[in-house]
Amino acid sequence: MSPSAGSVLLKLDGLTKRFGAVTALDDVSLSIDAGEVHCLLGENGAGKSTLCNVVFGVHAPDAGQMHLEGRPFRPTGPADSLSAGVAMVHQHFSLVPTMTVVENLMLGRLDGVLKRRDFAARVRELGATYGLEVDPDRRVAELSVGERQRVEIIKCLIRDPRLLVLDEPTAVLPPEEVAALLAMCRRVAAAGRGVILVTHKLAEIARVADRTTVLRAGKVVESVTMKVADMRALVRAMVGRELVSIDRMVAVSLGMEAAGHAGPPPRPARPAPANVRTRRDDALMVDGVSYRDHGGALRLDRVTLIVKPGEIVGIAGVEGNGQSELAAIIAGLVCPTGGRIFVGGRELTRRSPGEVTAAGAGIIPEDRHAIGCIEEMTVAENLFLGALGRFTRFGLLRRRAMGEAAAALMHEFDVRGSGPGAPMKSLSGGNQQRAVLARELSLDPLVFLLAAQPTRGLDVGAVDAVYGRIFAARENGAGVLLISSELDELLAASDRIIVLYRGRIVGELPAEAGNREAIGSLMSGHAA
Amino acid sequence: MTGEQVAVFLASSLRLSMPMILAASGEMVSERAGVLNMSLEGMMLTATFAGALGSWATGRPGIGLLCGVAAALVVALVQAVLSVTLRANQLVVGIGFNILALGATTFLYREIFGPLSREVIPGFAKWEVPLVADVPILGPALFRHVGLVYVGFALVLALWAGLRYTAFGLAVDAVGEDPRAADRAGIPVALVRYVAVLIAGLMAGLAGVFISVGDINTFTEGMTNGQGYLALAAVIFGGWVGGRTVAACLLFGTATALQFQLPAMGIAIPTAGLMMLPYVLALLAVAGLVGHHDPPAALTLPYRRGA
Repeated sequence: MSPSAGSVLLKLDGLTKRFGAVTALDDVSLSIDAGEVHCLLGENGAGKSTLCNVVFGVHAPDAGQMHLEGRPFRPTGPADSLSAGVAMVHQHFSLVPTMTVVENLMLGRLDGVLKRRDFAARVRELGATYGLEVDPDRRVAELSVGERQRVEIIKCLIRDPRLLVLDEPTAVLPPEEVAALLAMCRRVAAAGRGVILVTHKLAEIARVADRTTVLRAGKVVESVTMKVADMRALVRAMVGRELVSIDRMVAVSLGMEAAGHAGPPPRPARPAPANVRTRRDDALMVDGVSYRDHGGALRLDRVTLIVKPGEIVGIAGVEGNGQSELAAIIAGLVCPTGGRIFVGGRELTRRSPGEVTAAGAGIIPEDRHAIGCIEEMTVAENLFLGALGRFTRFGLLRRRAMGEAAAALMHEFDVRGSGPGAPMKSLSGGNQQRAVLARELSLDPLVFLLAAQPTRGLDVGAVDAVYGRIFAARENGAGVLLISSELDELLAASDRIIVLYRGRIVGELPAEAGNREAIGSLMSGHAA
Repeated sequence: MTGEQVAVFLASSLRLSMPMILAASGEMVSERAGVLNMSLEGMMLTATFAGALGSWATGRPGIGLLCGVAAALVVALVQAVLSVTLRANQLVVGIGFNILALGATTFLYREIFGPLSREVIPGFAKWEVPLVADVPILGPALFRHVGLVYVGFALVLALWAGLRYTAFGLAVDAVGEDPRAADRAGIPVALVRYVAVLIAGLMAGLAGVFISVGDINTFTEGMTNGQGYLALAAVIFGGWVGGRTVAACLLFGTATALQFQLPAMGIAIPTAGLMMLPYVLALLAVAGLVGHHDPPAALTLPYRRGA
């Protein structure tokens, strides 16, 4: 009883969802047809994920109705949605890492005996049908991010859903696998199912969507079929301002513009070396660093790289290929099993994070919430936790002086919040990241800056601000190591790019648009 | 050592290991579901007393067995309510239970039996397994025990098979490793954890009854004497794997049996040193093996949806 292509599968009427004072969805109406790929486009915080979660039954809407194949659809929870034929791949995977692929797929029942072999056969069959190859007997912990995503998708397809919801599935994938994923979406739609694909990348939409709906601040601002879609109009709808005013880094982060296509490098001319505070030493030298994790797996294999003063070196790689470990080792959070680390010519191997900071290394960690700041404490406390000595007299903390200094720093870095005494967690993600930047970039002298995934989860305005600060640090002579899973961002921001694959450096190329393909294939483990 | 002495030594090693084997196997299931029952010692002690009381009052060890298991299940149920539903700190709850169980059983024992009573409790008769009970050495060592030994081993094997081959077993592991993923997969996390804790209670109950009704046929204050803690150590030592956990229990039980064997063989070692042996072994084993096996990732962590 597969629905005929073209018939309305899911219809949303006036959906509204509030979280406290925030209206995440505001009177959203749209319809998804059977056999179509319907893209949801919007900035972070536009309400895309909330919409998916309402459809999947995670949240109940405060107002409005849904109809699935003409019948009222009011899911009381994910299990309800699943049995109604709606399946969802979340942004964050929910696989048990210690179990095999098949075991993860069998999860969910409490009765009965496990039929490992039958399930493995179905996994292979679905894999062949939709181009989702994965070894059913491998442990999930050993799989790459792309493979894990395939397992998540198989987990959905094994239930034979009528509607498949994919929340930002391409954000974690290397360029090569993105194409395969989009092709899979088309195949699923061709089988008569509906697909909702959430993304903030325009290039992907152009390749796969039948229709696109743009959300901004919880409202539908545009809903078009792709035959008549105008990319620039979509961007205008999404961002809410004219394209001309959009910074180039922003355009790149939206996937509107392949990095470098805009002709000559748009960077401001750099001051002659004489104007830069002259430093003889490399900003960062990583010399043959290796790291084995607790399980004995080799996460970094003799990584050697140098960042010179006044340059940005990008680290490209699919997540989980050693970038996190490299960042943690440079930050002094993890001891390498071999090799040495120097910042500004000073050896920092096996030194504490405090000593790393004292050597003039600013660290923007990838996990802002867990490591970058203490969300329960105030902005001022977060800004100066590592420099309390400056505000201490006779062993007592001078909170007023600290508050004043914090206010000045917040002003300088445009950290918007109710003030230095506001708890860190009351700030938006972009403002939290600005506060972390303010703390790390106000080191004097700033010899080296590690920026790990600095724009993850930030909206357009914040992306702009973060890169503005990073470029400013470079102009002031700091060396920057930029780690990002967004290849286009790396291409646009870096001077040269080093590719990590399975903990090894597999290549180094100038950050030019022409090298995009080559870098992409290095990231996937193919020789350039 | 004569053949007879070997047989006695093996038999007493098995007998002394048995309570730990039962308790540790149940506890392993609970820990793999993410709930640490620090209260294992208290569950066992409660069952030891309730079993002795039931058997003494009715004259029927079978009734004692039911009483002991029921008492341990009550403790386990309260433990589950506190640690799963109310999300209390599992270590604190467990230690509280152990102190309560020691105090309550001591008090009731003195009230009911009178202080320092050595009243004999009706116990289970030994069962001689047909055919093999008369094999030299191995017969008396392995095949002349109370029926609870054999039932216990069958239960332990059933638990292993259940973990490996049933959907519920997979759910137990999922809930202990990643309760959020399990929840998303449609597994009722709290229910699975309740059942797992009750399995630990059931097995701890059998272990407790085995001590008072099955083995020693009396009750004394604090009779479990740390065997619940040793069982906890055995689960860690065994790396949350069934076979290794049982092997660890056998090691501790054998060390305990040495206390009686060495003096009998005329080897003069201070008794206090020998009594320490199983505990010292447990300490070394756990200290030496920490980090060698990964515990279930969500062990001791309560789960709350959405947070």
